[in-house]
Amino acid sequence: MKHPIYTTFGALLIALLVVAELRGWTPMRPTEVKNIPRSIRDNPGAYRPHYRTFFGSGHYMRGK
Amino acid sequence: MSAPAVASLTCPQCGAAIELRTLDQALSVVCGSCGSILDARDPNLHVLQEFKARQKFEPQIPLGTRGTLKGEKWEAVGYQVRGIVVDGTTYCWDEYLLFNPYKGFRYLTQYDGHWNDVQVIKAAPDEHTSGGRPYILLHGETFKHFQTATAETYFVLGEFPWQVRVGDTAVTRDFVAPPRMLSEERTPEETTWSLGTYMPAAQIWSAFGLPGKPPHARGVYANQPDAYMPLAGSMAKRYLLFVAVIIALILLRLVTASRETVFATNSAFFRPGAPADSLAFVTPSFTVSGRTANLEVTTEAQVDNGWAYFEYALVNETTGTTYEFGREVSYYYGRDSDGNWSEGSRRDRAVLPSVPAGQYFLRVLPEAEVPTSFLEYRIVVRRDVPTLTPYLFCLALLALPPILVALRAWGMESARWKESDYAPSSDDDDDE
Repeated sequence: MKHPIYTTFGALLIALLVVAELRGWTPMRPTEVKNIPRSIRDNPGAYRPHYRTFFGSGHYMRGK
Repeated sequence: MSAPAVASLTCPQCGAAIELRTLDQALSVVCGSCGSILDARDPNLHVLQEFKARQKFEPQIPLGTRGTLKGEKWEAVGYQVRGIVVDGTTYCWDEYLLFNPYKGFRYLTQYDGHWNDVQVIKAAPDEHTSGGRPYILLHGETFKHFQTATAETYFVLGEFPWQVRVGDTAVTRDFVAPPRMLSEERTPEETTWSLGTYMPAAQIWSAFGLPGKPPHARGVYANQPDAYMPLAGSMAKRYLLFVAVIIALILLRLVTASRETVFATNSAFFRPGAPADSLAFVTPSFTVSGRTANLEVTTEAQVDNGWAYFEYALVNETTGTTYEFGREVSYYYGRDSDGNWSEGSRRDRAVLPSVPAGQYFLRVLPEAEVPTSFLEYRIVVRRDVPTLTPYLFCLALLALPPILVALRAWGMESARWKESDYAPSSDDDDDE
C-alpha cells in the first residue's frame, strides 16, 4: 500500500466524518443547560440565558 | 578482478617508489612522495610537472582501495581536486579515477558529501534550446542546463590515462535530470561528455569498505534526487481518491437527509418601546422524533437597513435540558460612488448538533432596530439537515499532508537551482 500513514489518516478522518454525520455533530456549540425551571413556560420574560456568545452577541453589523 | 598487477618504479625526482596499477593504460603518474607528475610512457619517467599544488589533499578513498560498485570490482587509481570560481568564491570537488582491467575507467565525484558515479559517454548528445535555455535529450530524458564554468585542476595524485597537470583548465557545462547529470568538458584539444548518477555516500562507504561513517551531505546537489516531488504527486492522487469518496458521501447525505420540518411559526415584532423582557414568548410544544440528529433553526426577518436579534432557548420538556443561542439577522443596502451595495442577509441559519428525540419548545426573545415599528419574521425548525461544513473541514485536513510535502519538494527544487546559473540572485548580478 502506498502512503500507509496518509491512507490510514484519511480513512480514519472519513470514518469520523460518517460518525459525525450519523450523530449530527457540527462544529457549532450552543450553551447547554440542564434542569432549567419549568416556570420558563409561564414567565418566559423572566428567564435569563446562561450563554454569552454563540454567533453575534450584540455587536450588530452596521451599514457600509 | 584477479590480484592487482602492479609495476614498481622509482621517482626520478625524489627516489620514492611508485606503483603503477593501470600499467600500459597510464599516460601520467604522480609521485605520492614529492607530488611530481611523471610521464608513465617514458621508461625513465620523465618529469612532466614538478609539484605545483598550493595545498595537499587527502583522498577519502585511499588509492589502491578496491571495491565492488554495482556488481563490478573497481580499484581507485587516481585522485584529483578540481574547482571553479564563482563570484570570487572557489568551489572544489574531488574526482576519483577507478580502474578495472576488463571494463576500463570510471569516476566517482564528491562535493560537500554528495557523490556521483560517472562514466564517459562516447557520442556527443544532441543539444536543443528552449526559451534561450539549452537542454539535452538523452535516452528519453530531458537534461536541463544547470551551470557553465571553467574548472581548474588544483591537485593530483595517482595515475591517469591522460597527461594530467595541476593548473589544467576546461570549460564545463552541466545538465541535470535528477538523479543523473550530463557534463561536457571542453578544452582546445577535445570535448568529452560524461553521464553521472547520484549515489548515496553510504553506498560508496560500503562498496569500498571505508572505515567509519561518511560525512553528512550539505545542501542540495545539482542532480540530487528529490524524494518529495514523486511523493507529493502520488499523495495528490490519493487525495483525489479521498475527494471522490467525500463527494460520494455528500451526495449520499443529500439524498438520505430527512430535512423534516418539526416546527414553523410566523410572528411579528411591533412594540419597539416596550421593555425587552416583555417581548419574550414560548412556542407551542413540538416533537423531534427519530435518531439523534442535528436541528436547524432558520430565522427569516424582513429587515430593511436594520437588524433584529433573537435570543433562543430550545427546551426539552421532559429532561429540562436547554440549548441556548442567539442569532442576528441584519440587512443593509444602498448606493454610493462605487454603485449599489448590500451587506448581511434577511435569513439566518443555525444548526444545533446532536439533538436527541423528545418533546421541545422554543423560548424566543426578539430585539430589533428597524426604521418602522413593525417587523415580520418567521422561524422554522427542521431536523436532520445536510451541512457542508464537516465535509469541507475534512477535505481541508486531508489536503494538509500533500500540501506540506509539495512545499518541501518546492523548497528542495528552489535550493537546487539557487546554485545554478539560473538562480534569481545570479540574474540580479548579471544586470549589474
